[in-house]
Amino acid sequence: MAKISFFSVAFKNLKRKTFRTGVLVFAIALLVSLLIFAISFTVSVASSLKKSSQRLGADLVVVPVGARGFAEEFLLESKNTSFYMPFSIIEKVKKIEGIDTMTHHTYLSSISGLCCDIVPTRIVAFNPATDFIINPWLQKSLGRPLQLGEAIAGAGTSENLGLGLLDIEATIFDNRFKIVGELEKTGTGLDHALFMTEENLNNIIESGKSPLKKGEISIIFTKLKKGFDPDFVGRVLEGEIPEVDVVARSGMGEKFLNTLADINKIFLLTTVLASVLTTFLVWAIFSAIANERSKEIGIMRALGAKESHIVKLYLIEVLVLGLLGSIIGVLAGTYLSALLAGSFSLLKNISAGLTVGQQAAIALVGLFIGTAICVAGAMMPINRIKKMEPLLVIKEE
Amino acid sequence: MSFLHIENLSKTYTVDDSTFVGVDNISLSINRGEFLSIVGHSGSGKTTLVSLIGGILKPTAGRVLLEGVDICTLDDDKLSEYRAQRIGFMFQFASLLPILTARENVLLPGIFSPDTKTDNAKVARDLLEMVGIGEKLDSYPSQLSGGQQRRVAIARALLNNPDIILADEPTGDLDEDTEAEIMHLFEEINKKKGVTIILITHNLELAGKAQKKLRMTKGQLVGI
Ligand SMILES: Nc1ncnc2c1ncn2[C@@H]1O[C@H](COP(=O)(O)OP(=O)(O)OP(=O)(O)O)[C@@H](O)[C@H]1O
Ligand SMILES: [Mg+2]
Repeated sequence: MAKISFFSVAFKNLKRKTFRTGVLVFAIALLVSLLIFAISFTVSVASSLKKSSQRLGADLVVVPVGARGFAEEFLLESKNTSFYMPFSIIEKVKKIEGIDTMTHHTYLSSISGLCCDIVPTRIVAFNPATDFIINPWLQKSLGRPLQLGEAIAGAGTSENLGLGLLDIEATIFDNRFKIVGELEKTGTGLDHALFMTEENLNNIIESGKSPLKKGEISIIFTKLKKGFDPDFVGRVLEGEIPEVDVVARSGMGEKFLNTLADINKIFLLTTVLASVLTTFLVWAIFSAIANERSKEIGIMRALGAKESHIVKLYLIEVLVLGLLGSIIGVLAGTYLSALLAGSFSLLKNISAGLTVGQQAAIALVGLFIGTAICVAGAMMPINRIKKMEPLLVIKEE
Repeated sequence: MSFLHIENLSKTYTVDDSTFVGVDNISLSINRGEFLSIVGHSGSGKTTLVSLIGGILKPTAGRVLLEGVDICTLDDDKLSEYRAQRIGFMFQFASLLPILTARENVLLPGIFSPDTKTDNAKVARDLLEMVGIGEKLDSYPSQLSGGQQRRVAIARALLNNPDIILADEPTGDLDEDTEAEIMHLFEEINKKKGVTIILITHNLELAGKAQKKLRMTKGQLVGI
C-alpha cells in the first residue's frame, strides 16, 4: 500500500492475532444475542398484552367472582377455560353509575363434537344487538351479520380447523353449522375462537348436548360514560355486586405481567452478569494488547502521535471488533428469538410477534450495548499506556 | 537568543527507593544548522539527554527552550506537534512497527501530522531510495536485516522535514561503507537544508566530522 491511514493501521493490527480477534468477536456476539433474545421476549409479551386489551375496546370487564384470572387467560392468552354467571347480573351492572354501553359473551369450551379431529376450540356466543367487540370485526370480514345456523372462525382457529375451505359444514354439539368465513387477525385471545350469535347457542342448549344451562353468561364488557374513572367505577361495581369481579383495561394481564416481571428479573440478572463478564474479557485482552504493543505506542508517540491519535487508532480497532460481534449477535439473537418463540408455551398462547420497527429498535439497542461494552473494556488499558512517557514505554519490554 | 537552549537540565530516575542520575545539571546552547556530536561511555546519559530534548521524557529540573519556548511546559497536543514537525528521531534500538512495511513505516509520522501540500508517498519512496532500500519498499521489518531496518528508521525520521535530527547511535550496526554513506547524508542535509543535527556515537572518527564535539560523563557534558 502506498498510503496509510489510521484505518489501515488499525486493520493491520486486527489481523495480527486472528484467533484472539475471533474469540473477542464470538464473546460479544454471544452477549448481544442473549441481550436481543431477552429484550425480544419481554417486549413481545408485554406489547402483545397491551395490544390485546386495547383491541377489546372495553373500559371494564365484568366476570364471575374468582374468574378474573380465567378471563384474562381466555382473552389475552387464548387458554381454553369456562366460567359462568347468571344473566340477571346484566341488570345489576346496568344500574351502576357511569356505565354507558354494555354487551356480554358466553363462552363454551371445547367443541369435541366438531366433525374431524381438531384441537379443542372455544365457542364465543355474542349478542349482535348490543355487541361492540365482535361486530366491527365481522363487518370487516363478512360484511353482513351472522344468520341462524352460521358461525365464523377466528383467524387462529381456521388454521386449527384446516379451513382454507370456506363454507364448510360443522357439527357442534349435534347442531349443524355452516362456517361462513374467518375473521381478520385481531391479536387477542379471541383469534382462537369460533363465533356465533346467542340465538345459535340457545339452539345448542335446547338440544341438551352441551354442559351449559340457559340464562348463563360468561363475561360483560362495558364502556363508561365520559369523565368516569374506570378504577373507581370498578370498585363501586365490586362493592355493589358481590357475585362479580371487575378488570379495568389498564389492569388487564396484570397477573401475567407480574409473572413476566420475574422472568424479566432473571433475564436482567443474566444479561448484566454476561455484560460484566464480557467487559472483563475485553479489558483483559486489551490489557494484554496494550502491554504487547506498549513499545509501538511509545514509538508512535515519539514520532508525534497525540494521545488522541493513540485513542483513535485503538478505538477504530475496538469499534470494528464490537460492531462485527454485535452484528453477528443481532442476527443470531433475532433468529434465535424467532426459532424459540414457537417452543415457549408462554409465547405460543399469546399472539406474540414484534413489528419491524420494534425489531429494528431492539437490534439498535443490542448493537449499541455490544459496542459500548467493547469500548468501555478496551479504553482503560489504552488510557493507561497513552499517558506514560514515551521513552519509558519504548524501553519497557 | 540561541535556537536551542538547554538550561540546568537534570533527570533522575527513581526506581523504588533508589535514584539514578541520567542527566546532571546540563546547560548548552545550539545554533540553528549546527552539527553536534556527543560521545561517552555506556550509561553516561546520552540517550537521556536527547530524549529530554526530543520531548519524550520529562526532566526533573531545568528547561529546554526551542526558539525561546520551553517545551516542558507544552500540553500534550502541542508537545506532540513539536515532536512531529520539528524533531526527527533515530532511536538506538529497533523501532519499526512490525505490522507495517518499510514504506508504511516511513509514512507513519505523516498520519500524525497531516500535511496536504507534500506528496508523502513520493517523499517516502525517494527517502527509501536514498538510504538504499528502494528495492524493499514492501518488505516487513522481519524480512529486513538489522542494518536495513535502521536505514528505514532513518528515512522515517526525515519524512516530516524536521528542524532537528536527534540521532542516537544511528549507525550502530551498519558496516563501514553504509556508515560512511549515512554520515555523508547527514552532512548533506545539514549543509543543504540547514537541519540541526545532534549525533550520538561511539565512533570517534564519525564524531570528529561534526562542527562541535562533546563528551558525556556521569550525566555531565565536557568539551573535547
Ligand atoms: N528507566 C530507567 N530507570 C532507571 N535508571 C535508568 C533508566 N533509564 C536510564 N537509566 C540510567 O540512567 C543512566 C543513563 O542512561 P542512558 O540510557 O541515558 O545512557 P546512555 O549514555 O545512552 O548509554 P548507552 O551508550 O549504553 O546507550 C544510566 O545509568 C542508566 O542506568
Ligand atoms: Mg543510549
